[in-house]
Amino acid sequence: MFDLVFDTIYFASYSNFFGLSNISLSSMDCLLVYIVTIICSIGVALLLRLHLLPSKPYRYSFDVSALYPTPIIAIGIVSIFLVLNYTFMYNGLVLAIVIGILSALFVKYLFDFIFPKPLGENTGGDIK
Amino acid sequence: MNEVIGIIIAAVLCWLNFVIVDSYFGLPEQPGVKGARIIGKDVEKRGGDIAGGFFQGNILCSPDASAGTLMASIGYMLLGVPGGIIVALLVFIGNRLCADPGYAGTTGCLTATAIIFLTSFIGLTPEMFIVGMVIAIFTIMGISQVKSSIILGKIAEKFNRHARE
Repeated sequence: MFDLVFDTIYFASYSNFFGLSNISLSSMDCLLVYIVTIICSIGVALLLRLHLLPSKPYRYSFDVSALYPTPIIAIGIVSIFLVLNYTFMYNGLVLAIVIGILSALFVKYLFDFIFPKPLGENTGGDIK
Repeated sequence: MNEVIGIIIAAVLCWLNFVIVDSYFGLPEQPGVKGARIIGKDVEKRGGDIAGGFFQGNILCSPDASAGTLMASIGYMLLGVPGGIIVALLVFIGNRLCADPGYAGTTGCLTATAIIFLTSFIGLTPEMFIVGMVIAIFTIMGISQVKSSIILGKIAEKFNRHARE
């Protein structure tokens, strides 16, 4: 019979449904996943017309750019998935591309909403 | 490797890592958060260097490369290389929560993860790096704040990052 819950979980944990360890993923696969994630996130961020480098001098990281927060967020989230042994299909490459695209979209559209810039010296500081 | 020798090597590596990364990204130049300015002025009042004081205030008040190195060691001990990278993401979020405009924390995390990974081939373990990082922070903050601020000021001058105030 059609078992929605089983099929959903089985499809979602395609590569490791029955094992707890990452047997299918070697360290070279992990390295490839990281490289694909970094390239994909930077590429999509550039497609979304973010600047490649942050504004000079490199002291104020609240200006988002393609090189600074995007790959960090992407590889951090990919690492969480790898640690949790959730690597989906094709040795995790699909997951890498999806996370790369999503993190670039996050940085472009949601970043200022979730991490707002701090108020200026005179407008909002409550600690004097 | 012998534990004591390993801890000494790890402490030196951690000290170099976080002092170089923090100095390069301009921690001695300006206080990123408000508490750092207060600490810097206080250290200067006691006869220290203002740039070293800003450095100490910054590593005390917000997650910079020192906290990044310590947390990367802990993450590496728990989860391996992915743990170190997760910690970089967490330090990035912590920087945002502290309203700290800086690149030092995340960069320090990634360089510390790379260092721990590379030195794991000669037998250094992440536990040694945790102890070594505690010793390294102790030499900066614990023994003599004034004297260490003078040393940090000299290093900041080498990097052309001395405070302009």
